[in-house]
Amino acid sequence: MAARLLWASRVASHLRISVAQRGFSSVVLKDLKYADSHEWVKIEGNKATFGITDHAQDHLGDVVYVELPDLGRSVTQGESFGAVESVKATSDINSPVSGKVVEVNEDLTESPGLVNSSPYEQGWIIKVELSDAGEAEKLMDSDKYSKFCEEEDAKH
Amino acid sequence: MRSPRTLEVWKLGTVNYLKSLKLQERLVSERKANRIPDTLLSLQHPPTYTLGKRRTDHNLLIPESELTKIGAELHYTQRGGDITFHGPHQAILYPIISLRSIGIGARSYVESLERSMIEFASVYGVKARAGNKCETGVWVGDRKIGAIGVRISSGITCHGLAFNIDPDLKYFEHIVPCGIADKGVTSLRRETDTLLPSEEVIHEQLVSCLAKAFSYDHIVWKQDPSLILDIQEGNK
Repeated sequence: MAARLLWASRVASHLRISVAQRGFSSVVLKDLKYADSHEWVKIEGNKATFGITDHAQDHLGDVVYVELPDLGRSVTQGESFGAVESVKATSDINSPVSGKVVEVNEDLTESPGLVNSSPYEQGWIIKVELSDAGEAEKLMDSDKYSKFCEEEDAKH
Repeated sequence: MRSPRTLEVWKLGTVNYLKSLKLQERLVSERKANRIPDTLLSLQHPPTYTLGKRRTDHNLLIPESELTKIGAELHYTQRGGDITFHGPHQAILYPIISLRSIGIGARSYVESLERSMIEFASVYGVKARAGNKCETGVWVGDRKIGAIGVRISSGITCHGLAFNIDPDLKYFEHIVPCGIADKGVTSLRRETDTLLPSEEVIHEQLVSCLAKAFSYDHIVWKQDPSLILDIQEGNK
């Protein structure tokens, strides 16, 4: 747990954001937005980077394959754009915002495990050009997302 | 106090693979819209080889053209996992359930599928175990008795597990099962001396083990001809 907080602080200082510390063990970063399907998004102007959260990677298990979309393809908020495979399960990844894919993380083809070891940094999945900046309003902030995760985990 | 959870089980007999895929697609959509409860399909397939999303067809050891000669089909799917064989006397369960409703993810789900099969094997005195890392599935020693391959979209599952009751294991010789070259496959028949009851009873037992592993409070069994008609309906 201490090692993970240290990692989180290092990530946070690198990204110049602070860590929201909660009772449960997965990391949630402030200044990112979150979808209820456990994807995070970082918006910079009209570009957005996304990936899956620490909570998601923990619940998936070791990722062995990431299916990336083609460049130039459009993605729609709430709809699937790719998938990850772990423990013989393919899980769709949904887009937290709509836009056009301008970059994909090719490193994930050789090193899919980056999604587990570095979900907010080296494990980023795609970058898009936003088509509707207002859509981000529908997403959760870090506090809401932390609470959402707690509630989900309490269900079983 | 959580509300009671019901699992609706459809007993389908032998179903062509593509038909079962179409049915699952429809049910996933219905489940996502909350029009149906958690549903489990209990069935068998005619001889069928299937591949997962990674399309590891290098693990099929005979040319595709040879498959009709041995009376088998080949299908590419979006599920996780490698190549596998499905056939008569192999019990298949396809849970179409909402993982978000129970707050679990892929890893926990697959572990519960493994537990279901391990518990079921123990009913016949067979000591099975979950696979090591990268070997998801259920094993007796070095021999695989149960396979798992799952797809999760928007938190709803499809595909599922396959447990070898007494399939013709020769079909497995034409593949590198699940991509694992140095281990074998086995069946309940091979691993136990206990007299096996009818397959219908066996399927019901396997279903009960799964329902227990997922803490369902009630099971509703459905087995009627109109369900088969439903499958055909879904194909139009």
